[in-house]
Formats: sequence, C-alpha cells, structure tokens
Amino acid sequence: MSIIELKDVSFVYGKKTPYEINALDCVSLEFEENLITGLIGHTGSGKSTLVQMLNGILRPSGGTVIVDGEDIWKKPKKIAKVRYKVGMVMQYPEYQLFADTVKDDIAYGPKNMGLDKDEIETRVLESAAFCGIDEETLKKSPFDLSGGQKRRVALAGVMAMKPKILVLDEPAAGLDPRGRREILGGIKKYQAESGTTVIIVSHSMEDMAMYCDRAIVMANGKMLTHGTCAEVFSQSELLRQNGLDVPEITALMAKLRERGVDIPSDIYTVGGAYSALLDRYKFASRGKEAENGI
Amino acid sequence: MAFDVSLGQYYEGKSLIHKLDPRTKLFLVIAFMVATFVAKSIYSFAFLFVVVLLSIIISRVPLGTILKGLKPLIVIVIFTAFLNIFWTKEGNLLFSWKFIEIYDKGLLNAALLALRIVMLLAETTLLLSYTTTPIELTDGIETALSPLKKIKLPVHEFAMLMTIALRFIPTLTDETGKIMNAQKSRGADFSSGGLIKRVKALIPIIIPLFVSSFRRADELATAMECRLYRGGEGRTRMKKLKFKVKDIFGLLFALLLLAGVILINVFLSKYGPTI
Repeated sequence: MSIIELKDVSFVYGKKTPYEINALDCVSLEFEENLITGLIGHTGSGKSTLVQMLNGILRPSGGTVIVDGEDIWKKPKKIAKVRYKVGMVMQYPEYQLFADTVKDDIAYGPKNMGLDKDEIETRVLESAAFCGIDEETLKKSPFDLSGGQKRRVALAGVMAMKPKILVLDEPAAGLDPRGRREILGGIKKYQAESGTTVIIVSHSMEDMAMYCDRAIVMANGKMLTHGTCAEVFSQSELLRQNGLDVPEITALMAKLRERGVDIPSDIYTVGGAYSALLDRYKFASRGKEAENGI
Repeated sequence: MAFDVSLGQYYEGKSLIHKLDPRTKLFLVIAFMVATFVAKSIYSFAFLFVVVLLSIIISRVPLGTILKGLKPLIVIVIFTAFLNIFWTKEGNLLFSWKFIEIYDKGLLNAALLALRIVMLLAETTLLLSYTTTPIELTDGIETALSPLKKIKLPVHEFAMLMTIALRFIPTLTDETGKIMNAQKSRGADFSSGGLIKRVKALIPIIIPLFVSSFRRADELATAMECRLYRGGEGRTRMKKLKFKVKDIFGLLFALLLLAGVILINVFLSKYGPTI
C-alpha cells in the first residue's frame, strides 16, 4: 500500500530569473507503507528537492503531493499538521540544535505539538534510547557532544514527534563507518519496532543495499527506475550510464559472471553473495560427486 | 542555494557602466548624492530624473529589476514623505483640523523628498550593486582610500572586512533558510502569536546561526592563515584597477552633473516651485 503519492510534481528554482533551474520535472511516484525506501541519485538529481516536498517545506510548482490519502496543499494554512505526520531530518541536522540541554532539544518538537508534560517525558526517553543516548548525555549541553552524537540527538528530536513517516536526508553523510552503522542500524531497528514508513536519501549504494527494502533512483529531475533493491541493482548498466554505481559486491559478482561463473545478477549484499556462492559450490561439488559415481 | 539573494545583486552585463572603473563609479555616486541634496528647483529634479533614466538605459539592467530592488524600501519612503506633509508650514493652507495643518507647499515638499530618496536609491544601487561586483567595489574602495594609510588608518583591513561580509551574506541567508526549514519540520511556528511569542520562536534559529557563524569565522581564519595571509602589506592583485579613457569621461560627467544642478538652481529657481 502506498502512503505517499506524488502526481506530476514539478519544481523550478529561481523562476523568471537568469538562474532558472528545473529541479523536478513532472515526477510521479509512490512510497510504500511500513518499508524503508531508499532515494538514490547524483548531486543535483532533485532528490533533496523531492524530499522537501513531502512535508510541505517546498510547495510544488505543479502537480500534487498526497500524504495518507490527502492532498497536503488543499488547505495551505494547515500545512504544519502535515509536519507532525511526516517527520523530516535534514542534511547535517546537528546544526539545528539550540537548547541548553540535550533533553530540552529533543523535547522541542513534541512541545510544539502541544503534548502534555508526562507524554513529552516518555517520548524523549524512548527516542533517546533508540538513538543510543544515555541518561548522562541527556543532561549535557548539545554543543559539548561529538559530531556523531549530535547527529543522533537531532534524529531523536524528530523521532520523539512519532511521525507516521520518517524522512532522512543523507543521515550518514560525513560520519565514519562506525557512526554510519550506529545511525543507520538505529533507524532500521526503530523502523522494525515502530512500523514507521522510512524514506532515506543517500548516494551510498552500500548503505542502501544494506538497510533498504525498496529503492527509487533519480536522475536529472526525473525518476530513472524503482523497485526492490534486487530489481534496481540488477540494472547496473543503466545506473552506470547515469553516473551512479552499483554496490561493490554487485560489481564483483558481475565480474565473476563475466568470467563464466553461473550466479544470479541480483545480488547486492555480502550475505547474499555468500549464500549464492555457497549454493553454487554445493551444486558444483554435487555434480562432481555424480560424475564420480558416488 | 543562493537563489534569493536580495542584497548585492550583480546583474551580469557588458555595458559601458559595467566596464567603468569602480573608483569612477564611486565618484559618480558621491557627485550624484551631492547633486540631489543641492537640487532646489523642480527643474533640477527633472534634470536628475533624466540622468537616472539615461543611466538605467545605458546599463541595460531591466527597469523591472531595479524597481523590484526598491520595493522593500517603499514603506520608509512613504513614511518619511508622510511626516513631511505636516512639518512644512508655508504656502496656502489647504486643510486644518485641530493641530493638524496641511499646506500646498508641504505636499510639494513631501513629493520631492520621496522623489529624492527614490532617485538616490535607484542610482546608487544601479552603479554600485547591479553593475559592480562586490569584489570590484571593495577593491575600488581600498585603492580610493589608500592615501589614508599614511595616517595609519587600517584601510586594507577595512576593505577585507567588507569583502568577507559581502561574501557571506548569501551563505548566511542560505543557512538561515536551512535552519528555519529544519525547525519548521519540528513544528516551529514563526508567524502566529503575540510579539513575545514570536521573538521566543526565533531563538531556535538565532542560536544555531550564531554557532555556525563562529565556526565559519574560525575555519576561514585558519584557511587564510594556511595561505599565508598577513594583511595588506606587499599583497599583489590578480586584477589591477586601471583608469581608461571612458573613466575620464565618467569623471567629467560627474562634474558636469554637479555644475548643471547648481546652474539650474541659480538661474531657473525663480520660474518654478522650489523645495
């Protein structure tokens, strides 16, 4: 079932100036409920623009954005309500922290929603736990934390609003491998436990392959292809033509296939490659056994 | 994205005005300022108005762009003009109610004052911001003021300060937009409630903005030091400013402008209304 639907959405930056740019060009796509969808694209492919339309930060120049069965721009004055439903974590969200303590910062969103004190308290503790923020850190100033910690605080701030849909724009950008694993793993765990629909923007194919159920590929303000990760990553030629790469493991498997090893083309995780190779090895040794008449 | 920069908006072009030396343009602006304040008779205003129109035509910057740039200041212009209606107590009394008295001279003064401000703004922005890049402008200011180095005024530092400030306006505008969007996504509301509530709503924007400005300043200072920046002493330029023949004509025109306004003031004042 789709929870967000975009119909012929276009967006133009700097309309009627010499710097006019068509960031999105009649894009129609759907995001499925209760899944993690990865939005992949090159710099300038329109993915960040698209994402900012999902909670009404940008208003499309043409077309409609339907969230949960409703056109979000039907009542422009009620756009703030859409933002409680669609939580958005922007790029480098650590720069939006401002409060005296981490706890107050996480509570900012729920407070804006007008929740009562006890509810805010439980939500703050809950989302802090999801993001791996301990009690001690909650009392600190957000400016005393490390980059990765700050990022997790910002994420917790949006999670505490309990949005039905959680949108993350490059949540792992600029983090070291451990920070990436922590933040993306936390998101995956949160999604599994809460059943939230998650949309992740990224250009890391490895991350997408590891954490997403479905993938949408953008190029030049248009949707290039979409489907399950296996479906998308098996089209390596198309991706490469548009300046994108397939995950390294997929590329390795493709090389093996070129050399005549018989393995499927839709492998995109190391685990998948492992079992495919194991199957293939078992099959081969069984063949040999048969030949030897054992 | 630097799309809605409202300050320092350079309009790409190759017109005569674009090619003038920034120092010539600075001189022209000063001459024009003096001329507008010296202008007394309605004829000198007409003369200056023609000059503004001519320079817009020569620069090939669309009139619409210039008018759009003036729009945010229109409130101040109207307010100033409005106050002037009541200040002047000369000429024929047109209207009076209690202590409010409006004279015909007051109306004229108000109109001319509004025209004066609009012309000043239009000409200054045309010469110094639409047709001059910020870098050219600060270079021009630095070289024009360089004699003041003799009396130990930090001219280079001042120019560098201006260059950096101008350079970071779009960056900060961009950053403010991003932070606002992030806080809006967290349910912030900047447009409802009383004054105190609205000011409080700005805290989540101002604090991150300050933090990142300090971070940027720090990074910039490090980057400049890595490139061995040690102030203006012995620093060479990639683009040297050079006076050309057209600049001489520019300077002559500035003098003509001043002379013209003064002559009109002296000889034509008695024929028309004056301010």
